Amino acid sequence: MHTPHSRSVGGGNAPFWLVCQTAIKHQKKKKKKKKRKSTVNSKMHRTVPSLPLAPSMKVKLINAGFQVASDLTDMRPLQLCKEAGISQEEAVEVLQVLRDDGQPHQQRAATESLTALDLLHQEQALGSIVTFCSALDDALGGGVPVGKTTEICGSPGVGKTQLCMQLAVDVQIPVCFGGLGGKALYIDTEGSFLVQRVADMAEAAVQHCTLLAEDTEQRQALEELTVEKILSNLFLVRCHDYVELLAEVYLLPDFLSEHPEVRLVVIDSIAFPFRHDFEDLSQRTRLLNGLAQQLIQLATQHSLAVVLTNQMTTRVSNGQSKLVPALGESWGHAATQRLILHWEGLRRLASLYKSPSQMEATIQYQITVQGFRDAPDEPRTTPDSSAVSSPSGNHSKRPRMEDLS
Amino acid sequence: MASKKLRRTGVSAELCERLKRHQLETCQDVLSITPVELMRLAGLSYSAALDLLRLLSKACAPAVSSAWDLWRKKGELCFSTSLPALDRLLRGGLPRGALTEVTGPSGCGKTQLCIMLSVLATLPRSMGGLDSGVIFIDTESAFSAERLVEMAQARFPEFFSVKERLLEMASRVHLFRELTCQDVLNRLERLEEDIIACRAGLLILDSVASVVRKEFDTSLPGNLMFRSNLLGQEAGVLKYLSQAFCIPVVLTNQITTHVGEKVHCPQWNQADVSTEEDSGFVTAALGNTWSHCVNTRLIVQYEDTERRQIVIAKSPVAPFAMLSYTVQKEGIRLEGNENPESVLNQGTDPGLQPIRVRTGFIYNLSQATPSTC
Repeated sequence: MHTPHSRSVGGGNAPFWLVCQTAIKHQKKKKKKKKRKSTVNSKMHRTVPSLPLAPSMKVKLINAGFQVASDLTDMRPLQLCKEAGISQEEAVEVLQVLRDDGQPHQQRAATESLTALDLLHQEQALGSIVTFCSALDDALGGGVPVGKTTEICGSPGVGKTQLCMQLAVDVQIPVCFGGLGGKALYIDTEGSFLVQRVADMAEAAVQHCTLLAEDTEQRQALEELTVEKILSNLFLVRCHDYVELLAEVYLLPDFLSEHPEVRLVVIDSIAFPFRHDFEDLSQRTRLLNGLAQQLIQLATQHSLAVVLTNQMTTRVSNGQSKLVPALGESWGHAATQRLILHWEGLRRLASLYKSPSQMEATIQYQITVQGFRDAPDEPRTTPDSSAVSSPSGNHSKRPRMEDLS
Repeated sequence: MASKKLRRTGVSAELCERLKRHQLETCQDVLSITPVELMRLAGLSYSAALDLLRLLSKACAPAVSSAWDLWRKKGELCFSTSLPALDRLLRGGLPRGALTEVTGPSGCGKTQLCIMLSVLATLPRSMGGLDSGVIFIDTESAFSAERLVEMAQARFPEFFSVKERLLEMASRVHLFRELTCQDVLNRLERLEEDIIACRAGLLILDSVASVVRKEFDTSLPGNLMFRSNLLGQEAGVLKYLSQAFCIPVVLTNQITTHVGEKVHCPQWNQADVSTEEDSGFVTAALGNTWSHCVNTRLIVQYEDTERRQIVIAKSPVAPFAMLSYTVQKEGIRLEGNENPESVLNQGTDPGLQPIRVRTGFIYNLSQATPSTC
């Protein structure tokens, strides 16, 4: 690229510095041209088959000779209509799709970019939902984070539903007490949501806040915080199979626009409807992936925390059977954070198994009459390398340095 | 509902035809494919495909309510078992709208408990009953109508002194005998009509395990998965029926030997710990997946010569607890619980909770009946 320009400037005899100067000028000009087109380039080179149009439409456009999106930009609707043999409304639709490129989101991302500092401010502003178990809150970095999906796996009876119900109550703690003051949506697929228990937890949370109230603002907020209000702000949906669950998730954007104060969506559990109705496991994987993507999109767009509950399944390998999280290996990538609850003798332990920002840790908790709380022993927050055995024999997890020592 | 036909949801007839050519006829078919696949099969643009999915979702999705609506119907949340200590722990009784499992060794009282609950369900509301019919699906032919009548008369002598009431109670219990897995599944799928016809307020399936264990040999490869699938399907249907009609569902299960190291059990009497630590221990059957499916698990086990225990092993509302009882003429009678132990905040995995079985018999010649040792 460098050489042809230098030839045009002075043949083979021009002084080197002049050649370089001119070449650099040419390059700069080229770069400038590139910059102007950079936002438009990606759109213009897009081929027609990749546009989000109906297949029959794409076939007609290709037959009329339009290969790339840039061929279509300067067309007028009537002209396009005649050349491609499509109706006038369809021509307008095609041109509109080109202008938005299907997703205004994508275009915005091409022009603006977020710096990590902006993200840091955003993340700090989003906050997290406390679990009332201080050890777990420390391990999670404050609580269940808003704007991310968290998966809770565990054996039966270990406390997944209890933790979800506790979070649904805790998200409503007023802002002046350090909570989010938001509402919650609980999607129940198993039938384990029993309202008497939530009422107990709500009562205990109100009492906890009463003990903490110091100034007038907090006391005022406390007057409005009653068990009745907490239960009214907890929306409940009961899904019986995976179709109802998928339908509910497709309708979530509309629901969240109507109720913008919702800060938590719980799906308890996501495993049950997907574990027994599928012969075609690849279809199940596709649906689960689509679901995971929709949920993370909702979490970021509407600033809410999404909590999913998963079950455990027995995997037999080399004659030994181990308990691993259900729904397959590929589901392990779906959630941002993964928490595994397990039994060890008489104790209940929670292990943070996957997190982009927190260290792996195992802590003990217990379920009391008031709900999800710390265990009476010293809460452990350091990563456990000694006696606690690996919770689920997850072969794909490579051992950490602490485990090896 | 998921099986709603497309043409009833407001989708244009022409689009219905196009989808029918690809075997997409119900909401379930369309919602089971991804938007990109739908785009390709239906010949729609991406945004039109999403609109179609949203339209179908509106037709299928369940309604949103709030916990407060549920709390206001407090009186209809539970079915009292007439055992006060158990009701107190379960915050009212067996939950309506969820599955309750009773598991334990043979002869411990599972079927007796089921028969007792059947009597209770037919009682009028003033006496704590549901004033409704009972559907009893019996797979072991263990149901005895004589025992039902005997129990009713012994438990509520004044109420059932009138013979008509006794006959009416007996006529409200509807018995179905199913002997294979497929029969049970077929019966469950048609049960909606029966529940409406019998005006049933309680559904009992005794037992889930016997048919499944007869037909599935889990040592063969693949059978474990088939069995889990079948159990999952049964659980799905039962949960739907239980929630739609707001009725309690009681299932019974059997026990199996778990080979492996012994799991610690709270309040295990040290003197009774078996000396053979590594021989395995007895626990609930049907595996881990089934332990996830049931919402409440009650384990019945032997405590000593005379008494047995109910253990609340898994419950969304109750802590881990043990209550002693005996089986009498009037059914289950709680006794020996004068000192209720403090609420334990511990527990074990309900799928691995060790269960005590009868360890032997002593035949005492002076008494006519055998007793345990």
